[in-house]
Amino acid sequence: MNPALVALFMIGFTIAAYIGSLHLYRKYRRIYTTPVIVATAVIIVFLLLFHVSYETYMIGGKWIDRLLGPAVVALAYPLYQHREILKKMLVPIMTGTTIGAVVGISSGLLLSKWAGFSTEIIHSIVPKSVTTPVAMSISESTGGVMPLTAVFVMIAGIGGMLIHPLVMRYSGLTHRIGRGVGMGSASHAIGTAASMERDTLEGSISTVAMILSAVIVSIIAPGLTLLLL
Amino acid sequence: MFKDKAIIIPIQIAMLYLIYLAGKGIQNLFDLFIPGSVIGLLILFTLLSLKLVPEWILQQGVSFMVRHLPFFFIPATVGIISYAYVFKGKGMLLIVIGLFSTALVMALAGRVTQWMVKRREEA
Repeated sequence: MNPALVALFMIGFTIAAYIGSLHLYRKYRRIYTTPVIVATAVIIVFLLLFHVSYETYMIGGKWIDRLLGPAVVALAYPLYQHREILKKMLVPIMTGTTIGAVVGISSGLLLSKWAGFSTEIIHSIVPKSVTTPVAMSISESTGGVMPLTAVFVMIAGIGGMLIHPLVMRYSGLTHRIGRGVGMGSASHAIGTAASMERDTLEGSISTVAMILSAVIVSIIAPGLTLLLL
Repeated sequence: MFKDKAIIIPIQIAMLYLIYLAGKGIQNLFDLFIPGSVIGLLILFTLLSLKLVPEWILQQGVSFMVRHLPFFFIPATVGIISYAYVFKGKGMLLIVIGLFSTALVMALAGRVTQWMVKRREEA
């Protein structure tokens, strides 16, 4: 088949799946009806049902993927709108994010070490709480498997989005700034998207935490890994 | 000034794309570990803060992208199907570990921040 047609179909299908799940979410608001989850599930079922490979899907999917970069750039705007409060709360945000980075690296590493997984897998899980491109480069430099890291990043992102109402309730996380730092440190851009949907201040804090976390994790991950492994 | 959203939003997204490319260029030039998209974000933030770029030039496109941010993750998320096999059998434990660690980070990072912020607000 003509690759341009395949691309158009996959892009159209993805948009349709997203719009459809957006409508579903407006009517039936549950955590598991979150648009990314429903749309992803619909697309995966479609691919499996018609024996379409991920590579074929990505002929179109890569065009959407390519907009992820400018979408991250766009987060500068809400950040700019909330600049005053960010400046005022920079120390708590930085402290919380640093703690999150240390906890994320060490808990992922120690738990998978105790469970007896290979060092290759352990290195892949270590940078899971930061945004994909940064996580991949950390994984590469410490000896992890890059695609596997991408999957762990997804688990932290999608998983965090799914469990965050529960985590926030049981840990008494009620303040918008605390919530933003929690989401950005634990679940990077996917957490930020979920935060942004609730509240632009929480989303902006999450953006800052996500960026800080990416920087902090990439600096401390190699050393901390060496120390704990 | 501009009325047609169907024209203005793609143009503004194209502008964001250019900023992203500039970020990527800087990343490659200095061999930085920070991704190009984050450098692009910092560039746009600086441009807005220094008032070098007025808000209206980008506002609609930016708001559109932020509102539909989850959409842009869909293709990457679908990629999970290629690695489903890792999580068979004992591999299931990795999902549990990933989720537990994520919850721990969220709760601790969030609570510490919340505690410090509340102390500041009261002061």
